[in-house]
Amino acid sequence: MFRYTRATAVREGVVWCVALLTLLPFYFLVATALKPDDELLSTSTSAPPSHPTLSNFTEVLTAGGDNNILLALLNSVIITVGSIAGLVAFGSLAAYVLARTTARWGTITFYLFLIAILLPTQLGLVPLYIGARQVGLVGSLGGMIVLYVGSLMPLAVFLYAGFFRGLPRDYEEAAALDGASPGRVFVQVVLPLMAPATGTVAILTGLIVWNDFFSALIFLGGSDNQTLPVSMYYYVGSLVSAWNKVFAIVIISMVPILAFYLFAQKKFIQGFAGGIK
Amino acid sequence: MTLQSPRGFRRIGTLVVIPAVSALALTGCGGGDDGGSGGGSADGFTFAFENASGGQENPWVKLVEKYTEETGVDVETNALPPDSFGLTMRTQLQGGNAPDLMMFSPGSGQENSAIPLAEAGYLEPLGDTSAGLVPAGSEALFGIDGTVYAQPTSLIPVGITWNSGAAAEAGVDAPTDFDSLIDSCGTLADEGKSAFVIAGAVPPNPGLMTMAISATRVYAETPDWNEQRAAGDVTFADSQGWKDTLQTVVDLTEAGCFQQGAAGGGFDAITQGITQGTSLGAFLPGSSANELMNATPGLELEIEAFPPAAGGEPYMLASSNYALSINAKADDGAKQAAQAFLDWMAEPDNAKTFTDIQGGVPITGPGDDLNPVYAPVAELLEAGDYAPLPNQGWPNPGVYDALASGVQGLVGGQGDVQSVLESVDQAWDQ
Amino acid sequence: MTATMGTPQDTGPLVRGEVPVAGGERAARPRRYRPLISYGRWWWALPAILMVLVIHYLATAGGALYAFTDWTGIGDFDLVGLDNFRRIFEDPTMIGALENTLFLAFGFLVLTNVVGLALALALNRTLKTRYLLRVLFFTPVVLSPLAVSYVWKFIFDFRGPLNTVIGWVGLEPRVWLADPDLALWCVLVVMAWQTTGMVMVIYLAGLATVSPEVEEAAALDGAGTWQRFRYVTVPSIRPSIAIASTLMLIQGLRVFDQVMALTGGGPAGATETLATQVYKETFALSNFGFGAALALLLTLIMLVFSVLQQAATRDRN
Repeated sequence: MFRYTRATAVREGVVWCVALLTLLPFYFLVATALKPDDELLSTSTSAPPSHPTLSNFTEVLTAGGDNNILLALLNSVIITVGSIAGLVAFGSLAAYVLARTTARWGTITFYLFLIAILLPTQLGLVPLYIGARQVGLVGSLGGMIVLYVGSLMPLAVFLYAGFFRGLPRDYEEAAALDGASPGRVFVQVVLPLMAPATGTVAILTGLIVWNDFFSALIFLGGSDNQTLPVSMYYYVGSLVSAWNKVFAIVIISMVPILAFYLFAQKKFIQGFAGGIK
Repeated sequence: MTLQSPRGFRRIGTLVVIPAVSALALTGCGGGDDGGSGGGSADGFTFAFENASGGQENPWVKLVEKYTEETGVDVETNALPPDSFGLTMRTQLQGGNAPDLMMFSPGSGQENSAIPLAEAGYLEPLGDTSAGLVPAGSEALFGIDGTVYAQPTSLIPVGITWNSGAAAEAGVDAPTDFDSLIDSCGTLADEGKSAFVIAGAVPPNPGLMTMAISATRVYAETPDWNEQRAAGDVTFADSQGWKDTLQTVVDLTEAGCFQQGAAGGGFDAITQGITQGTSLGAFLPGSSANELMNATPGLELEIEAFPPAAGGEPYMLASSNYALSINAKADDGAKQAAQAFLDWMAEPDNAKTFTDIQGGVPITGPGDDLNPVYAPVAELLEAGDYAPLPNQGWPNPGVYDALASGVQGLVGGQGDVQSVLESVDQAWDQ
Repeated sequence: MTATMGTPQDTGPLVRGEVPVAGGERAARPRRYRPLISYGRWWWALPAILMVLVIHYLATAGGALYAFTDWTGIGDFDLVGLDNFRRIFEDPTMIGALENTLFLAFGFLVLTNVVGLALALALNRTLKTRYLLRVLFFTPVVLSPLAVSYVWKFIFDFRGPLNTVIGWVGLEPRVWLADPDLALWCVLVVMAWQTTGMVMVIYLAGLATVSPEVEEAAALDGAGTWQRFRYVTVPSIRPSIAIASTLMLIQGLRVFDQVMALTGGGPAGATETLATQVYKETFALSNFGFGAALALLLTLIMLVFSVLQQAATRDRN
């Protein structure tokens, strides 16, 4: 029944047509970014460049001061890595305790995390901004990491808790009976086992942090620590008419995440499908 | 190397947004160097302003550099993005860590307006020097009950930024009466050009156009229209002047005076249309004309007033779009240092320096060395035939937002004059 | 929470399906059971709990409080009771934003699920290049909504490729994002383009649980393609349907980035949503109290839909 027939070949062809149509925006993106200034206005927006140039990229990459895209890239990497580290460290600890405890407070606390996932951003944003301003966390990389770790903690705890529940206790019990302290059990037994869950947590939360624009704009806008989306937003605003340069920035902002995705695509897709099972 | 030319356009976007709600509309601008805030030393002070452009080209930065060079006083600048400037200043003022000197908009009609902050007691009363700069009739935009809280900086005329070179080529005269303007729209459209180019997708631009038109239709005859509205004597919906203003927008749209696809245009449409001469005029603050000319060699621009209706008198808009205020909670030393800077700025020579950098008209009044782009409106400026930007005198940012977004609809063939004006009234009364 | 706003990668609400499982498992255990061995220490959870209490609960409670005031961001404020909410329902702009939000949420739900399921069915098994195709369709999901919106803004531009293409077949150019009748559809298309790959992956995971033997048996019994889909496939992928639809609905309700980047809510408010209005009232117009009331309304709408979804899922179980 599941053999490769003529009909299947037709289906494959149709799906490829849909796929190419879906990917068409990437063609415009690349074609426009390679156009020199004069071609931008003189040729059709859908035509490929007749004299492709990389000058848009060099100009965008060498822009200094507030438009330093490379600095923004570095900030984004620091914030994303820092947030993932915080989420993995505190999230796995909390989820482990919550998944293993039989005390009533564990159930209540777990629901505390679950409900927090549902609360939308907007309501708490202004108090959060004012509070962060008071304690000096606005405009700093550290403050942004704290904000992201706190914001995404419910998601991390949820993902880890689901994993720990499915993890048999045999190894931990054996280690504990051998006299290992809870700390040792966690580090030597649990930590090595939870690598797959950590992958899912890192990819799901890391992607959210990396792509976040709104809170980064509010909390980091105008500081030296702007992330890639914020920097892109301001730089694009300053380029008014130059689509070729805008798209050079857009491509530069996409390359790291795309490279990472293509490198670990299986893990990405499993992360999305697996967080859901 | 094309490095310079696109950057020259940088400020245009935000210059147009200045009298506007700076909503996120892809019109942003460069970030800034966060110099931290609060607590300037005894001989220096901190200064925060909206950063329209990327770093170095900002007129405030240049002015401060010159000040430091002349006086040796150390000024810590803090250039912030317009999107969140008002919010940042409000929270900093309440948190007690605001900069010593801050840039605001006069009046109360914008998100970064000074008067609501003065009412809440966050701003320091300023001296007679500052009071002396306030244009007659605009006292309520810069102070409360005779006390001045914000020092005007420079006069920025708002009218039509007119490409006189392209107009001559197309055989069109600068618009001086409305009927011939409408006629020329058809002629230009036949040649694939347009009389005006607007960024219809970005409400503040149609909003600025509407205000420029209202100068002759509303404020020439009734300079105190805003006060009458505040007193409840008139409304937008019942005002013939405002109806005429919006009807003018509809007439311009129907006569094909705007570029093709105007309703969806962004600021890129304006810079392209004006610099390439496919459109002859745009509605921009006067100071942006210099920017455009600097960025495009050979471009000839001048500022024209929008023509009055048949039988009307010429009139235009010009006002200080920025004002500077001192933090009431700053240290005494920092307050004095900031006040010294304000006094320095009030001196005619230095006012002139600032306008040279920025492209406006000195707040001390137009002199013999008026920037040549203003030649067509020199008489109006000298005679004082101008009103401040109307929205500076409106009570909350929602009023201008309602007008701008309503006119955006009119340009796209959506809504009607009466319902737009009613929504503006509604925003006023909230 | 803050970070998750409007991002298509936001998998937050997907937990809804899981709640009863977690509760059920717990309830089944004897209440006072004390293990001989302790797994971890309670205070290990403290940092995470504190952060969630402050960043989620305290901040949200503060925001909810503002909803009943007339605070403008400076100075004092008065309690105004339900005035802000009355204003929301008397303001045609806000009603329009509410309608747009619901249109986008349900349109997004239907479009992404129909296309996502179709793609998943097409890619499931047999196709030689299915892994490559899966990677390609999923690609837009990992990109930032802001960057994606720039690309689409160019495509929809008056001088842009879309008008060129429709010009080839003799159609007049349109001002896509400035046309009050088209702009909302344009936003919907961009949202769907970016997220359908994610829905597809959810359905692929569901389809993997359908046993080929059962399908084959159904085929041998003479069931047609549609019948096999209806009576074999659909029951097996019910959990995926529940999760994908909830996820898309919640994400559609909080749409922000795409609207802001594509239209800014224009033309003349034709694409304003509750989330963009919250931003505008709060940050651009400094009506903090009113903005908080809008945010509270959005929160309530999302909670109601989550509970409804929860009830629907429970029935099926």
